[in-house]
Amino acid sequence: MKEKSLATKKTGPLKQILQRRYREFVLIAQDPVLFISLMLCSIFLLVFIFYPIFQTISNGFFNPTGQFDLTYFIRFFDDYYGPQARLVFRNTMTMGLLTAFGGTFLGFIFAYTLVRCDIPGRRWVHILALLPTVSPPFALSLSTILLFGRNGLITRKVLGMSFPVGSNDIYGMDGLVAVQVITFFSAAYLMLRAMLERLDPAMEEAAASMGAGRFHIFRTVTLPLLIPGIGGSILLLFVESLADLGNPLFISGNVMVLSAQIFLAISGEYNYQKASTLALVLLIPTLIVFLVQRYYVSRRSYISVTGKPTGGQHKESNPWIRWTFIGVTYLACLLVVTLYLGIIVGSFSTAWGADFTPTLMWWRLMVTRGIEAILDTTFLSVLATPIAVLIGMVVAFLVVRKKFSGKDVLDFGSNLGGAIPGTILGIGFVLAFSTPPMLIVILLYLVLSIFLVRSLFDKPREQLIVLALGSVLGIGLSFLDGPLGLRGLYYLLGGLSIALGLYFHWGRELKQRGQLLLLLGGYFFAYDLSDYLAMPIATLSRTISGGFWSNAIYQFATYIKVPFQLPPIFLATGLIFGGIFFVKPEKDNWRLALAIGALAIPCALTFTDAPLALVGSPFIIIAAYAVRSLPASVRAGIAALQQIDPTIEEASSILGADAQYTFRKVTLPLILPALLSGLIFSFTRHMTSVSAIIFLVNARWRIVTAAILSEWEQGGISIAAAYSTTIIIFVLIAIGLLYFVTNKLLKDQGSVDITIGA
Amino acid sequence: MFLSLKNLVKIFPPRGGSTEVLAVNDISLEITKGEMVTLLGPSGCGKTTTLRLIAGFEFPTQGSISLDGQRINELPPHQRNMSMVFQSYAIFPHLNVFENIAYGLNVQHLAQSEIKRRVGKVMALVELEGLEKRAPNQLSGGQQQRVALSRALVMEPKVLLMDEPLSNLDAKLREQMRTEIRRIQQTLGITSVYVTHDQIEAMTLSDRVVIMNHGIIEQVAPPQEVYRYPRSRFVADFIGRANFVTGVVKGIEKGILSLEALGQRLHVPQEEERYALDRPITLVVRPEMVRLHEQGGTYTATVRQAAYLGDRIDYQVEIEGQLLDVVESDPTRSARIYPAGTKVGASFYESCIHLLPGE
Repeated sequence: MKEKSLATKKTGPLKQILQRRYREFVLIAQDPVLFISLMLCSIFLLVFIFYPIFQTISNGFFNPTGQFDLTYFIRFFDDYYGPQARLVFRNTMTMGLLTAFGGTFLGFIFAYTLVRCDIPGRRWVHILALLPTVSPPFALSLSTILLFGRNGLITRKVLGMSFPVGSNDIYGMDGLVAVQVITFFSAAYLMLRAMLERLDPAMEEAAASMGAGRFHIFRTVTLPLLIPGIGGSILLLFVESLADLGNPLFISGNVMVLSAQIFLAISGEYNYQKASTLALVLLIPTLIVFLVQRYYVSRRSYISVTGKPTGGQHKESNPWIRWTFIGVTYLACLLVVTLYLGIIVGSFSTAWGADFTPTLMWWRLMVTRGIEAILDTTFLSVLATPIAVLIGMVVAFLVVRKKFSGKDVLDFGSNLGGAIPGTILGIGFVLAFSTPPMLIVILLYLVLSIFLVRSLFDKPREQLIVLALGSVLGIGLSFLDGPLGLRGLYYLLGGLSIALGLYFHWGRELKQRGQLLLLLGGYFFAYDLSDYLAMPIATLSRTISGGFWSNAIYQFATYIKVPFQLPPIFLATGLIFGGIFFVKPEKDNWRLALAIGALAIPCALTFTDAPLALVGSPFIIIAAYAVRSLPASVRAGIAALQQIDPTIEEASSILGADAQYTFRKVTLPLILPALLSGLIFSFTRHMTSVSAIIFLVNARWRIVTAAILSEWEQGGISIAAAYSTTIIIFVLIAIGLLYFVTNKLLKDQGSVDITIGA
Repeated sequence: MFLSLKNLVKIFPPRGGSTEVLAVNDISLEITKGEMVTLLGPSGCGKTTTLRLIAGFEFPTQGSISLDGQRINELPPHQRNMSMVFQSYAIFPHLNVFENIAYGLNVQHLAQSEIKRRVGKVMALVELEGLEKRAPNQLSGGQQQRVALSRALVMEPKVLLMDEPLSNLDAKLREQMRTEIRRIQQTLGITSVYVTHDQIEAMTLSDRVVIMNHGIIEQVAPPQEVYRYPRSRFVADFIGRANFVTGVVKGIEKGILSLEALGQRLHVPQEEERYALDRPITLVVRPEMVRLHEQGGTYTATVRQAAYLGDRIDYQVEIEGQLLDVVESDPTRSARIYPAGTKVGASFYESCIHLLPGE
C-alpha cells in the first residue's frame, strides 16, 4: 500500500521561513478589515507600549546631555549611596514578599470559607471582598491613617493611645503591608475560589475511600492541587505590590520603596535619568515574575479553568474548622467595612482628629474647586474605554481565531502595558512624547504609505510614482503650517476636500462619495471653528458666579473641542485607511491622481505641527488609560471567544450569511457580556489609576487621583476622603449599570450557556 | 456530474512549530444528483478537510470543485447554496428552536408567512413539532441533532453536508437517527455528502462509500462491493474484519485460480486475468468464510481462544503457525463450543475469497 501520503516538508532555511511568513501575511491581507485592524493594533502597541518602555529603559544609561552614563547604577554598589540604595531595594522586596504571602493567605481563607464553609451572607461577603478592586489604590491607606493613625479615630479616640516620638505607629513597613494585603487580596481570592470550585470532588473522595483523614487529604490532595493557583496568586500579588505607588506614598513613613523613590526622583528632583535607572531596577523583578507566571505557572495547572464548575462541593463538616474560617472572614469583612466607612465619615468631618463635627464643607469645596478634576477624569476615562475595549476585542479575536506569526508578540505586548508598574509607563510616556519622536513618526508614515500604494496598485512603477509624488506634495503642504499656521493649513485642506466633494457630487454624479468628501472638509474646518463654538460657552461660564455650574460649563466648553482637535497624525492614520477604500473604485488616471491626493493629505498631516508631541494634551492621558486597561479587555475577549465554538460562525456562513451579518447576528450577541464587562473593567481601571498618569497631568487636564495626592500633601485629609468617596461611587454606579444592562439584555435570552455549541 | 472534485490538493501552512500538512492529496470524485455519498476513513485521513473544501470553509491549494457545471473554487460558503450539519451541531445558543431553523431563511429576507410555512414543514418532517419556543439548552441531545438537521434541510440546499452528525449520540439513538436521515434523504432526493469514521453508518446510509486514508481515496464503491471486493489491504482491513493469508499462484484455468496457501491447494474463482504463475498473492479471508469441523476439512487448526457472544462465537485459531479470526454464526453449529486447545478441522468457503495481488 502507498506510503507517499501525508508527506510533510521539513522546516527549511531562512528563505523558506520568510516565504512562509509572507504567505501567512497574504492570507490575512485577503480580508482588508481584518488586516487594517491588525495594523492599527500593532501601531498602537508599538507607539504606546513598546516605544515608551524602551525609552524608560534606555534613558537610565544616558545623562541629560546624551552621553553614556552609569552613575545611578553604580550607586547601588558604592559605599556612599550604596547602603541606602540597597536598603530601598531590600525594603521593596520585603514589602512585595510579605504582601504576596499575606494577601494570598487572606485570599485563601476567603475562598475556602465561601466555597466550603457555607458562610451566612455569602453574597455580601463576596461583594465586600471585591470592594478593594474598585476603589482608588490609596483609599485604604487614607482611611487606615484616619482610623489607626496618630490621631486616628480608633487609636486616639476609642483606645486613647498616644504616640510619642519614636513609638511604633501605623506608618512604616507594618502599616504598608497591612494596607496592601487588604488592597490586593481580592485578586488572590478570585483566583483561588475559581480553582477550589473546579476541584473535582472525586479526587478527595478517592483519597477518603482509601482511608485518609480530613487533614491528611487536605495536605496531600487538596493543597497540592491548588499549588499552581497559590503560586500564581503569590506572583501576581508580588508584582501588584511592587507596582503600587499610592499606598507607599501615603503610609510608608520613613521606609522608602522603589516606586515611591521613582516618583520622588521626578516630582522632587526632576531627575529623569535617576528615575529611569530605578525604574529599570523595579522592572527587572516585575518582568521576571510576569514571564514566569505567563510561561511556567499557567501551564502547570492540573485544574482546567475553562470547564464548568463541577457539581457538588464538599462542605466542611468539622464545626471547629468551619467556624474558625467563618470567624476570620467576618473579621476581615468588618475591617473592610470599617475602613470604607472611615473614608465616608472622614469626608464629613470638620477637622479630623480634633473636631469630628459633621460638615458639608469639604463636599462643597470639592464640587466647586474640585469639580474640574472629577469631570476631566470621568470624561477622559469614558473616552478611553471604547478605545481599550475595541483594541482588546480585536487582539482577542486575532489571538483566538487567526493563525499568523507574531501572534505571541501581539498577545504579550497587549498584556505588558498593564502588567508593568504604571510609573515606568508614565516616565516612558513623558520621555517619548515631550518632543516629536521623529523616528517613530517616519516609520509610521512609511508603513502606512507603503500599505496604501500596495493596496491600490499592482505595478511597482505606479506604486513608486504615487509614493514619491504623494510624499513630496504632502511634505510641501506640511511646510505651509509656517506661513499659514496649523489652522490655516486645516482651512486649506478643508477647502480642497470641499471643492473636490462638490465636483464629485455634481460634476461626476457620485453623490455618496461627494458627500463623504464634503463631510471631511467640514471636519477640517471644525478644527478651528470648534473654538468659536466653545468660546461663547466659556464666556457664559464666567458670567455665572464661581462655583459648580461655572466650572462645569467651562470644562464642557473644553470637551467640545476634543473630538475636533485630534492630533493631526491620528487623523492622518484614519485618512490613509479611508483613502484606500475611497480610491479603490476609480480607474486609470483618476485612480493615480486621487491616490496621490489620498497620500499627500495624510502625509501633510503626519509631519505638520509637532507630531506625537502629546505631553500636555488630553490624548496622552487617554492613551495611558487605554494601555493600562488593555489586558482586562483582552482577557475578557479571549475568554468569551474561546467559549464560542468556531463552527457556530461557520454554521451561519453556510446558511447564507456573509461575514458582516454573522458578526452582527451571532458573534456580537454571544460576546456581548464579555464586551460589557470589558467596558466596565476598563472604566474602573481608568478612574482609579494613579501611577501611570501622575506625571502626565497638567494645569489644563486634572485627574482626581492626582488631586487626592496633592490635597493629601497639603494636609487636606477630608477633601481627599471626599474625592475618594466620589470615585468609589462613580465606579459603583458604572458597575450597577452593567448589572442592570446585562440583566435587561440577557433576559430574553434566558441564561445563555455559551458552551452549548462546544 | 452534479458535484465534481478534480485533483483536489489541500496543504495547510505550518503553524506554531509544526510543519506543513498535506491533508488532501490529489483526489477526484464525481457525485450524481440525489446520491448519498459517505466519506469514510480513520481520523486524520482528510475526510473532514474534503468536506470543508466542498463547503468553502477551506480553499483548495490545487484542483477544482464544481457544482452543476459551475466552478465554485473561490466562492465563499454563503454563496454556495449548500448547507451543513456539524458534529457539534453548532446551534445558535442565543436563539430558540424556531429562530435557529429560520436563520437561513431570514438571511434571504423571505416573507414571514413563507418562513413559518417552510419551518413548520421541516419540523414536521423531523418530528420536532411543539418545540418552537424552546431554548437550545433545554433540548435533549437527539432533539438538538434534529434542530441542526432541520436547519440545514429547510434551506433546500443543492448539497447537504454532514460532518459526523451522529457521533455525539448514544448507541440506541444513533441507530434510530441513522435510519431517519436515510429516510429523509431519500424522501427529498437531496444530494448528500456524509463524513464518518463509523463503518456501520457508512454501510447503512450510503449509495456509495468513499474510503480515504492519508489524504487519498482508496476506493469508491457501493457498500456491498466495498466489503466483497476491497481494492486494497487497507480497505479490506478497515471495513469489517479480515484475515490476510499469503499464497502463490500455481495454475490458471477457465476462471479458476489454483493456489497454494498455508501448505494446501485452494481453488478460487477469479474473473480478472491479472495474476501470473508462481507470483505471490494475498487472500482476504473474512472470519465468516472459515468453517470449523470436528474432523476433516482442508486444514488442521488449533483453537487458541473462544468467546461466546450469543448470536455467534468468536474464535481465534492457529493454522500452520498463522492466527486467524473465525466467526461461527450458524445456529445449528454454534450450539457447540470448541474450547481453547482443541484440535479441529478447518476449511474456507473458497468461492467467497477475495484476492489481492502481492504479499
